[in-house]
Amino acid sequence: MHSIVCIKSVVLSTPKGRMSRSPEKSVLNPFDRWALEMALQIKEAHGGTVTALSMGPPASESILREAMAMGVDQGVLLCDRAFAASDTLATSRSLTAAVRHLSPFDFLLFGVCAADSDTGQVGPQTASFLDIPMVGHVTRVESANGVFTLHRQLDGFLEQYELASPPVAMTIHPAAVEPRDPTLGALGTAFDSAFPITCLDIAAVGLEPRQVGVFGSPTRVLSVKPVDKKRVCEWIQGDPAIQADILVEKLVKAGLVG
Amino acid sequence: MDMLLEEKHRAVRQSVRRFCEREIKPIAAEIDQEARFPWEVIEKMGRLGYFGIQVPESLGGANLDAVSYAIIVEEIARVSGAIALCVTVHNSVAVFPLLTFGTPDQIQKWVPPLARGEKIGAFCLTEPNAGSDAGGIEATAIADGDTFKVNANKVFVTNGGVADTCLIFCRINPSQDPSAARTGISVVVAERGTPGFTTGDLEDLCGMRANPVCSIRLSDCRVPKENLLGKAGNGLKIGLAALDTGRMGIAAQALGIAQAALEEGIRYANQRHQFGVPIARHASIQNMIADMATQVDAARLMVYRAALLKDKKQPFSKASAMAKLFAAETAAKVTDLAVQIHGGYGYSKAYPVERYYRDARVTRIYEGTSEIHRMVIAKSVLQEG
Repeated sequence: MHSIVCIKSVVLSTPKGRMSRSPEKSVLNPFDRWALEMALQIKEAHGGTVTALSMGPPASESILREAMAMGVDQGVLLCDRAFAASDTLATSRSLTAAVRHLSPFDFLLFGVCAADSDTGQVGPQTASFLDIPMVGHVTRVESANGVFTLHRQLDGFLEQYELASPPVAMTIHPAAVEPRDPTLGALGTAFDSAFPITCLDIAAVGLEPRQVGVFGSPTRVLSVKPVDKKRVCEWIQGDPAIQADILVEKLVKAGLVG
Repeated sequence: MDMLLEEKHRAVRQSVRRFCEREIKPIAAEIDQEARFPWEVIEKMGRLGYFGIQVPESLGGANLDAVSYAIIVEEIARVSGAIALCVTVHNSVAVFPLLTFGTPDQIQKWVPPLARGEKIGAFCLTEPNAGSDAGGIEATAIADGDTFKVNANKVFVTNGGVADTCLIFCRINPSQDPSAARTGISVVVAERGTPGFTTGDLEDLCGMRANPVCSIRLSDCRVPKENLLGKAGNGLKIGLAALDTGRMGIAAQALGIAQAALEEGIRYANQRHQFGVPIARHASIQNMIADMATQVDAARLMVYRAALLKDKKQPFSKASAMAKLFAAETAAKVTDLAVQIHGGYGYSKAYPVERYYRDARVTRIYEGTSEIHRMVIAKSVLQEG
């Protein structure tokens, strides 16, 4: 089994003005941690290898090394100045080219979204480009007699899908697995030694500048600014039991619980 | 700060912080109040390498550098001073001297289980009449056949209640060897479970309450002669080498406590309103925050510098003494100011700064008091002049 996990380096703090990606401000997208863990569990159950793939500036190498400390076999960085300002479509197209370059594979895993841009589009779009089946919010991967069953959970429903045969793409539900902590020793080794991170530029994956980055992106972010949230404090009267009932009713009506 | 650190150090900090905030922070107040040693967390830390941070991989350790070590202790102390104390004492004054002064057989026997956290180490120097003046040690080891008959009354032993592998500072055959009466201090390793090895009640301490600090008493305890660490009479040399490393760990611990107090001070100053504005808008509070942030920053630079010197195999004794003195004094001042910013609430156990304030106090006392450190630094500086 060869699993490829697409991971992203995200910026920790809310940007003020122009956003710059620097290593000290970047972390592994928390949603990708579950995808990495799921891939490692598939490897433990069925053997094979796990590749972590990230597209980003050179600073993204750090999250690939972290993934290797968790147990991933190889880290691949898709890095080229031409990728700058890629939207989700250009990103998916680029990842598709890299995944083809790394083929064959059985599972292609993503987090459900990225903590910074929160689109959730890259996984499904990449699957679409690759023309392979895609299951979102996967909570469990089972196999019996060579047939894989994927469980997914969304909006209070549990669904099961039988998989004709790999390859398949999936996004991993944040409650699916408990991501492992890398041991301190593995962290040290992943960052210290001559653990190679494979770097691929656009030529290496057969892309042209017009397909990626600002030229390959039909959408452009014009501005990002925080929304001023107006908070209104409302006092609920009555004894505590009545207060609780009123509060629950209000929350249900607002669609926040229930 | 970041100019001193490598990618690896940032990754170590992120990983350790994530672990500490998930596993230790939620129980930090409870284990302090109940004076409970959280085995459930300690076992996880053992599996992740926290008990053999600088031990080679071949001996079950994480094989990290001294800067990583300082960052790890700092990050643990940021959520729990007591757990950071357990980790740093185990690593620096138990495992390190065994690794440095042990014979290959001794290292193979003791270090791997310690490095994996399956056993806990302790450094037993302090006695009722010997602390800053280690020359006052009265513990004895009398040679008898293949064993030493050890009698010792060790007090305030960090990790004492759970320690398996204990470095006992004592005098070998003092009545036969008059020179041993003042200078001839040696180290023998005593293991829990040996007949005559007992631990006293836990100390009811002001801070660091989750660490099982207690006395360890050896009464006619038979320790095999091969448990002598280094040469007979080399105890002070071993002790001083261990403390050079140990004080860097305590400096990092004090830094972590100060960092936590700074963060809580900032958080509360932004949240608490008086006179119609957050108190962070008042100049008196801003002055406190500015002093706290500056002192924490300076302490951090000093701690990392000492660690970097150690990694570069340059003399770091003075730098680590300065870092320990400054970080401990900083922890005391910064936690005091954090309580002040919180006002009455800071004096209540409802807020964590109360715990930080208690935990910080001892950093000026143990692993060499601030006064002893000033003496060490003055001596070094005056000699240079």
